[in-house]
Amino acid sequence: MSKYFINILFGLLPILALAQSEPIDLSQKDTIEYKEQYGLRVGADISKLILSFVDEDYTGLELVGDYRLTHKLYLAAEIGNETKRQDENLNNTVLYDYETSGSYIKAGIDLNTYENWFGMNNAITIGGRYAVASFSQTLNDYSLYETNRFFNPDFLPGENPNREFNGLSASWLEFVVGAKVELFANIFVGMSARIGFLVTNTEDEQFPNLWIPGFNKVTDGSNFGVNYNYSISYFIPLYKKSKKQKEENKQ
Amino acid sequence: MKKIIPILLIAVMLYYVSSCEKDDICVDGDTPLLIVGFYNVEDTTAFKRVESIRIRNIDIDSIISKDSYKGAFNDRSNIADSILVPLRSNAVTTMYQIISGSQDDADTGEETGNIDTLTISYDLGEAFVSRACGFVVNYNNITVTLNEGAENWIQDISVVQPNVANTDSIHVKIFH
Repeated sequence: MSKYFINILFGLLPILALAQSEPIDLSQKDTIEYKEQYGLRVGADISKLILSFVDEDYTGLELVGDYRLTHKLYLAAEIGNETKRQDENLNNTVLYDYETSGSYIKAGIDLNTYENWFGMNNAITIGGRYAVASFSQTLNDYSLYETNRFFNPDFLPGENPNREFNGLSASWLEFVVGAKVELFANIFVGMSARIGFLVTNTEDEQFPNLWIPGFNKVTDGSNFGVNYNYSISYFIPLYKKSKKQKEENKQ
Repeated sequence: MKKIIPILLIAVMLYYVSSCEKDDICVDGDTPLLIVGFYNVEDTTAFKRVESIRIRNIDIDSIISKDSYKGAFNDRSNIADSILVPLRSNAVTTMYQIISGSQDDADTGEETGNIDTLTISYDLGEAFVSRACGFVVNYNNITVTLNEGAENWIQDISVVQPNVANTDSIHVKIFH
């Protein structure tokens, strides 16, 4: 009896083999998809806060924020207020002493160029901003530059000190290179360096804009300026979105 | 983390680039000096030489000499075309005695040259030149009057540039 049985089994072997026509998938996909967090990141510039305490001639505050739009793209903005008193000296003589005070807002985009490992949320960004500042300049004190000392051994003091120039404004384009690192869960520290290009600059003809809040020093005969920030920010998660779709496109 | 290092470097580089700028030294301007040219009264386009000139400021009673200021001339030298003289920035007039053929009397030590007195009146103005220079003085609406004496060597005066904002060309012509 068993002899027949074995014979039948052998006879059915091809059918068994047919049943195995679908190969075993050894690299089966993980069905758990990784979802990236999307949301709003808000924070403040720590360098301006520290400078406000350390430097008695400076007070400033900058709030930073960004909102994640896609895997790489962020909407980003900064809003700030700065007051800075400066002077220009020549051999211990004050040529002029002035104070600039005003607010600015910068808005634009950041593009994250850094591909994170699983679970990481760091960013190396390049981006652009359009910025607008409204401010005033006060000329506290000044002297009149004169190289010949025939009449006066020192520079004469200016006729009208303590003049305030109001209603000044400027706008500029900014190129931003930055990095953000997640230090603890949802807490980020970041830094950015910016090159600004002045587009408009409304200044008083008696005293030009030498320093613009948010833009930093204005150089004679150049539209470029350089500024930076060091921020600490908190990420508010709003929703999660899978990155899976993009990976399928890759394959 | 390695990718952050280049960004740090860029940030540092930007800082250094921004800290060395051309506008740290004042080269763009200065409070101007008055340029006075000496012309021939018969041929008003030609310069005429002044022999042994001495210029004395009446306001501070001081004689201009080579080391008085940059661009000054030697006392009692011969001037072929023009001279630079400073103006007072804390007053609206400056008075000069312009002495032609200046010489001291051998016995008494008195001036024997021909002394003509000029009064220069003007309005003071201020102008911001550049970040490194700050403010300078400009002299506007210059008028020059010759105090008439017994025998003036200066025949006529004409102000060609009433606003003195630079030291590039002649502001006042003296005909003799």
